Amino acid sequence: MREVLTTLEDAAKMVKDDELVTTGGATFHRAPMEMVREIVRQGRRGLNLVDREPAIDFDLLIGGGCVSKIRAGMLAFEVFGLAPNFRQKAEAREIVVKEGACQPIIAGLRAAAMGLPSLPVKGLIGSDIMGVSEVIGGYKQVEDPFTGEKMVAVRAIEPDVAIVHAQKADKYGNVRIEGPFYEDVIKAKAAKKVIVTVEEIIPNEEFRKMPEATTIPHFLVDAVVEAPKGAYPASCFNYYDADYGHIQEYMKWANEGRFEEYLNQYVYRRGER
Amino acid sequence: MNSEGTPKVEIPDILISAMAQEINNYDTVLHGVSSPLPVLAMSVARRTHAPDMAYVSGAGGVDSEVEQIFPSSFDPRLNRRCVAYFGLYEAFDLAQRGELNLMFLGAAQIDRHGNTNLSVIGDPDHPKVQLPGGAATAFLMPITPKVVIWITRHSGRIFVKEVDFVTGQGYNHRTEEQRENELVVISNLGVMDFKNDARVMQLRSVHPGVSREAIQEKTGFELIIPSRVPETPEPTSEVLEIIRQLDPEGVRRAEFK
Repeated sequence: MREVLTTLEDAAKMVKDDELVTTGGATFHRAPMEMVREIVRQGRRGLNLVDREPAIDFDLLIGGGCVSKIRAGMLAFEVFGLAPNFRQKAEAREIVVKEGACQPIIAGLRAAAMGLPSLPVKGLIGSDIMGVSEVIGGYKQVEDPFTGEKMVAVRAIEPDVAIVHAQKADKYGNVRIEGPFYEDVIKAKAAKKVIVTVEEIIPNEEFRKMPEATTIPHFLVDAVVEAPKGAYPASCFNYYDADYGHIQEYMKWANEGRFEEYLNQYVYRRGER
Repeated sequence: MNSEGTPKVEIPDILISAMAQEINNYDTVLHGVSSPLPVLAMSVARRTHAPDMAYVSGAGGVDSEVEQIFPSSFDPRLNRRCVAYFGLYEAFDLAQRGELNLMFLGAAQIDRHGNTNLSVIGDPDHPKVQLPGGAATAFLMPITPKVVIWITRHSGRIFVKEVDFVTGQGYNHRTEEQRENELVVISNLGVMDFKNDARVMQLRSVHPGVSREAIQEKTGFELIIPSRVPETPEPTSEVLEIIRQLDPEGVRRAEFK
């Protein structure tokens, strides 16, 4: 095992302009927000984002000017409404949006995790989503060679980088996720580079005592960063709840055309929140 | 509360109660994101007529004992006392096996064949309004034995002649086999289904105080209206109490504004 413990700054430098990036968690839960803020601070450009149901992590990257393309099943702020920067920049055509659907996006990631060029799924046929042109996780109707059943082959989605926020890791990159995993383990297997931020670094001995609690083993992980409150304002199960008040404030500033102020206060002025 | 101490019935209560009625005991039911009404409907069903249903949450938990709902339907607190975690992709695998009985989905537009749009208003490449996306809709809609669509603002802008983009497949975009799957639409005005040979939308019941004419007027296409249309049953006081207990802050009302 090699040590992969590093700093937020150095880990964020592993994400290059124009790369295909996926993030862990779902909507407002275990989103890797501290790493997202660092990527915005470093001024990354042209990122191509893919995920099943992201929310504030993708929206902040969009609002920070880091993104050129999005592929998602759904990008919204739950009952609070539309994702503000996503909507504004999509309608202004400053970003390219290609809708996927949840299961096919996950299937594309699963294909990459399994080392397959594609994976078939059911459903989809008859939806206009089939006609959405895009190579990442693209679709093609196929017939099962044994039964003749019509299905949709989803092209493998192999992100350049997967960024996951978890509860615990050791300095070698063994990771323990508590509560729901979402697709984080699949993403760690599918991506070329895997960055994990955690609430706390714990001794390797703790993993050896309870290996069944290890969700991602070290050889899949390229960088580990200790980032307490690293999902804020999203939740981190067993550590803190989502800050819905902050999320509504974020939306208000973005919708009122004052997003630069938000960035100044919560992103560029590091450490304050 | 009125003088008898019974909570006053509100429109969200009628929807939640009607949605709960679509769940049968022993069903395996899933809810997704942005779904306060489905979370409440599933919790109501489990605490009343469907105690043995398998409650699968998009938040990840199975058979969670929901104590309170939150602005996010994926909030981990919704997994309180769950018996297991079952990932959304595992629930989707279950759907491919035909073993997910019921799913609740939303719609920004719906037409008479049951096609739904959650993707974009206007030209997809030059969106007038960029909608959030259909999430699992295009995958689950044709293959799930029963899909219940909830709509909180019944109007001609939502019930349209033709959707701008087919996110979810109505009956005219399905295979013969998929045409057997059930689709129910529950709005703030009434309950609609497609139980006729042509598989087009027909009125099943009207909510208390709503006339058949009023629903037709707020629908952008001709509804099939049978000669006798019953009223949607009012929620019982037990149901109303469960709703108020689980949602003291009124998250359920957000979608109606």
